[in-house]
Amino acid sequence: MTFRLREIGLTALTYLAVVAIFFPILWTLLAGFKTEGTAVAQPPVLFFLPTFDNFREALTNAGYLGFFVNSVIISVGSTLVAFILGIPAAFALGLFPTEKTAGTLSWVLSTKMMPAVGVIIPLIIIFKQIGLFDTIAGMVVLYTAINLPLVIWMMRSFFAEIPKDLIEAARIDGADTLRVLLGVAIPFVTPGLAATGLLCLIFSWNEFFLVVNLAGPHASTLPVYIAGFMTSEGLFWAKMSAASTLAVIPVFIAGWAAQRSLVRGLTMGAVK
Amino acid sequence: MARSTRLLLIAPAIVYLAALTQAPFVLTLWYSFQKWILTSPELGVTFVGFENYAYTIFQDVTFRTAVLNLVLITAGIVVFSLVFGMAFALLLHRKFPGQGIARSLAIAPFFVMPTVNAVVWKNLLLNPVFGFVSYFTTHIGLPRVDILAQFPKLGIITMAVWQWTPFMMLILLAGLQSVPDDIREAAKVDGADAWEEFRGITLPLLGPFIELSVLLATIYVLQLFGEIFVATQGGPGSATTTLPYYVYQTISQGNDVGTSSAQGVCAVIIASVIATFLLRLLSRTFKVSKA
Repeated sequence: MTFRLREIGLTALTYLAVVAIFFPILWTLLAGFKTEGTAVAQPPVLFFLPTFDNFREALTNAGYLGFFVNSVIISVGSTLVAFILGIPAAFALGLFPTEKTAGTLSWVLSTKMMPAVGVIIPLIIIFKQIGLFDTIAGMVVLYTAINLPLVIWMMRSFFAEIPKDLIEAARIDGADTLRVLLGVAIPFVTPGLAATGLLCLIFSWNEFFLVVNLAGPHASTLPVYIAGFMTSEGLFWAKMSAASTLAVIPVFIAGWAAQRSLVRGLTMGAVK
Repeated sequence: MARSTRLLLIAPAIVYLAALTQAPFVLTLWYSFQKWILTSPELGVTFVGFENYAYTIFQDVTFRTAVLNLVLITAGIVVFSLVFGMAFALLLHRKFPGQGIARSLAIAPFFVMPTVNAVVWKNLLLNPVFGFVSYFTTHIGLPRVDILAQFPKLGIITMAVWQWTPFMMLILLAGLQSVPDDIREAAKVDGADAWEEFRGITLPLLGPFIELSVLLATIYVLQLFGEIFVATQGGPGSATTTLPYYVYQTISQGNDVGTSSAQGVCAVIIASVIATFLLRLLSRTFKVSKA
């Protein structure tokens, strides 16, 4: 009996803790459906007649849509380029390791650990000189470099799980490397590929330091738009909440879809 | 696999990474020995040796503050996220109705972009007049506080802990799943209470996962920028100016290429000391398999 009570108590505590950690998101979501007056009301209002005006306004606001489109193009583009560069490398490192493989992987990881402040100044100067500053192409180039180590490490760990016999059989059948990669290896790691892609999308979507330093009005993404609420529209909580909600929803969808591989991605494949 | 095929597959990725991370860092090093103000092209670019470093390390008081703030804020975030993350992992590891959705909801803060995190906390939650936290604290008889003005470091730590707790939780949950439940059950049968079981069995077995989560979080949190940019702009004064934010200020407001580069190099040195430590631990605890 005491055991049952203890279990019920722990479950109740768990629900309470989860509600508490999710509350800031819930509160923002609710504020997006409020009028500006209700959003700042004291005491806080929990039940109210929802309005869709803030969401409608955000979605029809040319400024907001521009940032949104930039975010989509830059994160999808950089994920694709990172795939094109990273998958062949991960394939070679994962399925045909040599004594140099561990060293190469450590080096790749070290580029991921490089603080952005260590490279930002030359990047600003060079990007301005060669016309990549504040361009979509420039941001794709940068985010590809952020995504590449993740693609290499994660895909390597997925490729390494392919049974060796499968690869050998294909080679004996006369398949060349390209055909082994495209016909045998990639179909085998499709779930891993999807998870890796989703993680790349999340990290590029949320990135802020590089975009705020290397982009202006043309190539800025949603995190920059939201940061703008601090100066110009900080008092419009309902509008700010609706815009914030719309900015994070794609990441929630991607994140929950990739939930099973999240730990693997966050630890660069160290924890499965 | 033939050497040439191998090279063809690996080289493009390596060259790309080298061009975008290694090469700019070498340039940062080079710039750090120059006097170069972007807004004063008439002064030109002159080689000044270690002058920028001498200024940064021995004269610039704000730089020292920024390093200290970086250490304090990072340590605060990592320690509190670890404690909360452990609590969440232990709670969510139990079987209970709705476990799946509870886990999904608890992970959610990690997906929120830093700038949304900052505008939401600064306004909806921590605003001293209209914020929810203020309503809550005054309701239970505590004085009204403006956390970001009075305790700015605590404010930044709070919003980042909210974001990084799920990160810790995820890695620790994976750790708990790797500990066979019967080992923990056996301890209970032997009469150990929950705390003894946690201290004696779970915690030691989670060791490698705790190390990994702490070191990874440290590497990422050392780069914390968006929250500070939006919520405090490094202030009040320089109370929340960390090294990354200070470099940003030096280049974007001071346009000082030489000094900001020297600061950037110092930031890299600090981070690489920690990264080396991390890599050594990673290769010790999770052997990079050759297969």
